[in-house]
Amino acid sequence: MNGNSLRAAAVLCALVLPSAARAQVERLAGRLDANTRSAVTAIVDSVRGACVPTNPLVNKALEGASKGADGARIVSAVRALAGDLARARAALGRAATEPELVAGAAAIRAGAAPAFLERLRGDDPRSSLVVPLAVMADLVSSGVPADTAAQSVLALVQAGKREADLVAFRQSVERDIALGAPAGGAAAALVATPATASVPGEPPSPPRPRKP
Amino acid sequence: MHGSTDDPLIARVAEELRRPVTPRPGFDARVMAAVRQAPPSLPRRTWAWLREPRTLALSPLGGLAMAAGLAGLVIMGTWGVMTVGRSGEAGRAAAVQGAAAGELSVVTFVLVAPEARSVALAGDFEGWDRARMPMTRVASGLWTLDVSLAPGRYQYAFVVDGSRFVADPAAPRAVGDDFGQPNSVVTVGGGAMRAAGGSL
Repeated sequence: MNGNSLRAAAVLCALVLPSAARAQVERLAGRLDANTRSAVTAIVDSVRGACVPTNPLVNKALEGASKGADGARIVSAVRALAGDLARARAALGRAATEPELVAGAAAIRAGAAPAFLERLRGDDPRSSLVVPLAVMADLVSSGVPADTAAQSVLALVQAGKREADLVAFRQSVERDIALGAPAGGAAAALVATPATASVPGEPPSPPRPRKP
Repeated sequence: MHGSTDDPLIARVAEELRRPVTPRPGFDARVMAAVRQAPPSLPRRTWAWLREPRTLALSPLGGLAMAAGLAGLVIMGTWGVMTVGRSGEAGRAAAVQGAAAGELSVVTFVLVAPEARSVALAGDFEGWDRARMPMTRVASGLWTLDVSLAPGRYQYAFVVDGSRFVADPAAPRAVGDDFGQPNSVVTVGGGAMRAAGGSL
C-alpha cells in the first residue's frame, strides 16, 4: 500500500468512524443497564482514534446482554475484544476492512502471533484475508495447535490456494480429527499433500505470484 | 377416395386442377414490394423506437427533479430491503434480494430439534436479539432459516424455546467463551452458497 492509500484510509477513519460509533452505541439503549452502557461506551470512544471498528464491540456487549451476563463480565469481554481488534489493526494496516479485522481478532484470540497476520498481508496485499484468518481460528478451535494452524494456512496461501481450497482443507482436518487423527498431525499431513486441499472435482489452483 | 374415376366431367376437372400454374412475369417482385410496404408489427415498431437515438432537452429544474426522483427510488428500495431483512418471517425474501445484489451470500441455517417449541437465530448479524429471527419448522423437528450475509466471519447460536442458547453442532466453535455459552462460527467468503446446521 502506498502513502496516498494510507493517508486516504486514515482520513476515511477519521471522518466515518465517529458517526458510525455514535450510531452503534445507540443500539445499546434498552439492552444494558446504565453503568454497563456507560463503561462500554467509554471503551468504544477510546478506540475510535485507533481506527478500530465499533460494530463488533457493540455486538459483543449485546451478546452478553442477551445471554444474561453481568455488567462486569460484559465490560471485560468488550475490552478484550477491543484489544484484539487493535492488535489486528496494527498488524493488517489501516486499509484493512472490518471483516478482516474481526477475523484477525479471532485469529489473535486463537493464538496467532501478529507476525502471522503481517505475513499474510505482506504476501498478498490486495486479496481479502477474511477466509485465511477465519480458517486459522477454526483450526485452533478444532484442536490444532496455533503454530501449526498458522503455518498450514500460510503455506496454503503462499501456494496460491483459493478460499474454497482453504475451507475444504479445514473440513478435511476436522474429518481426520473426528476419525481419531492427532490434531496437529492431521493439519501438517494435509499441507504436505496439497492435492488433498483442493476442492473435489476442481483442478489444483495455479501458484500465486510471490512478492519479490 | 379413389385415385381415378370413369366420370368424364370429373376427369376433366381433375386434369384442369393438375395443370401446373405459371405465374406472370414479375409476380415475385410485386409480392415482395407489397410486403415491404406493409406496416411492421407492434413489437417490431416498439423495438425500433427504443433503439432510435434521440436528443432529450431538459431544463436544469427538470434535471434536478429527475435526480431527486431517482434518489427517492434508491432510498425507498434500500429501506425496503432493510425492512424485509429485519423480519425473521421474511428471511427468504431478504435472501433472494441479497443474492441478486451480488455482494451477499445466502446461508441456510438448519437445526434438528424435535422437542423444541420454538427456535430462533441470534448472532453478530442482527445484534443478538433472541426473537428477531425466528426459524421455520419445515418438517418433523427440522428448523431452518435463510439469511443473506456479506463477506465476513460471524458468531451465532440458536435460541431454543426463547431462552436456551445452543451452539450449532455442525459448525466450527468460536475460540473462547466470554459468557459461558459457546458460539458457532460461519465464514462467508467469495459469495458461494453454503449451509450451516446440525442436530441436537
